[in-house]
Amino acid sequence: MSHSEDRHLDFVLKHYKEGAFDTQKAIGRFKAANGVKPMPRRRWNPVIYAMSAAAALLIGVFLFMHSGSRQWTEISADASQQEFMLPDGTCVTLAPGSVLSYRMKDERRVKMEGKVFFDVARDEARPFEVDADGAFVRVLGTEFMVDAAEEDQTKVYVADGKVLFAKGPEEEGVILTKGMGATIEEGAEMPVVEEVADINSIAWQRGSFIFDQTPLKDVLDCLSKYYHVSFVATDLSKRLSGEFYADDLDLIIELIESALDVTIIKR
Amino acid sequence: MAVYSPNTLRQTDIEDLFRYNYRPLCMYALHYLQDTDLVEDVVQECFTTLWEKLEQGSQVANRRAYLYMTVRNRCLDHLRRKGIQTESLKPYDTYGIIDDDDAEERSQIEAKLWTAIDSLPEKCRQVFLMSKRDGLKYEEIAQELGLSVNTVRNQISKALNVLKNGAIKIYSFILGIF
Repeated sequence: MSHSEDRHLDFVLKHYKEGAFDTQKAIGRFKAANGVKPMPRRRWNPVIYAMSAAAALLIGVFLFMHSGSRQWTEISADASQQEFMLPDGTCVTLAPGSVLSYRMKDERRVKMEGKVFFDVARDEARPFEVDADGAFVRVLGTEFMVDAAEEDQTKVYVADGKVLFAKGPEEEGVILTKGMGATIEEGAEMPVVEEVADINSIAWQRGSFIFDQTPLKDVLDCLSKYYHVSFVATDLSKRLSGEFYADDLDLIIELIESALDVTIIKR
Repeated sequence: MAVYSPNTLRQTDIEDLFRYNYRPLCMYALHYLQDTDLVEDVVQECFTTLWEKLEQGSQVANRRAYLYMTVRNRCLDHLRRKGIQTESLKPYDTYGIIDDDDAEERSQIEAKLWTAIDSLPEKCRQVFLMSKRDGLKYEEIAQELGLSVNTVRNQISKALNVLKNGAIKIYSFILGIF
């Protein structure tokens, strides 16, 4: 390394602490301190915003007068990922193109299409139920994802806690705990369980990839699914460990190349 | 129609500002204050100042430049309150005083190095930090972690390799070589 690079690295090393300068934590701290709540991630023109706020208010008043909270309220994500907080405090992250509707009063019911990550607020008295047309999930409070983006199957991945996953509300199902996943195919009676599911299936929501002795071939498969590019590499049998932030593909590739001493080409 | 009003400052905007600038701003403030905890507080305060300003309807044409300016001012305030003489209110690195004008660009390179260290495999990072940050000898690290000296040497050279290649890329990115 050149002299100036040494100076940079020396300075970084002198102060480096694991877990310090964590951007994600800093964002959380900022939001908590400044009362920024998760809200629809839309960039609206202020005029349209004012109009739709007025319209939403009217609709809200109408719904309230006619039926209390018995109606379904729909939220959706267009081209970008969006976060919402539901009335019970549950945070949902919708992948682009996903739709979710909820109804919350004596019960907590959600219907959805597409891919949604749930961080469910705990409420023992009211289980949280997700209906994804042919797939059904019931929980008390936990973090999990439902991926119903494919035509003929629905996947569930559990990041924390415990969930019940079945074909429908009255059907027999499987219990999934932290780190487990399951898939139900169209027409099947029961979901098929994966004891150790792919943790990177929620990379889109978490913002990072985690690898633990993962063969390079699987690493690249995972990255190409996420970034929609394909790769060729010199030695696919090598194994990779570590956490990589998902915001910079080129840097990830660079780090993998150096760590494993391989060459990776994007196509 | 691009209307730049506080109404358009939504959650994603502030998150993007954080994603692109939080770590570089921390490194920048670190050159003045040399204290990671204090630095995180200062940078938080500066984001809050910007947020409040925008919410009041003030125009901030270049938010990034504004953040660097407020971080610098806030750092100097801290140093003055500690009774440090005005002429020595300068950014430092491990070798001595650095140029005020360079500090911003350096911080971006250093933030990338910090991220690269974060991304090292855990064992590799541990060995690397024990050697380069804590100054332990290869033998001492080997003994403490129950590894062979050879493994320690390999892990360190692997880490340096990652950082070096990462750094080359960072330089070429910033200097626009490619």
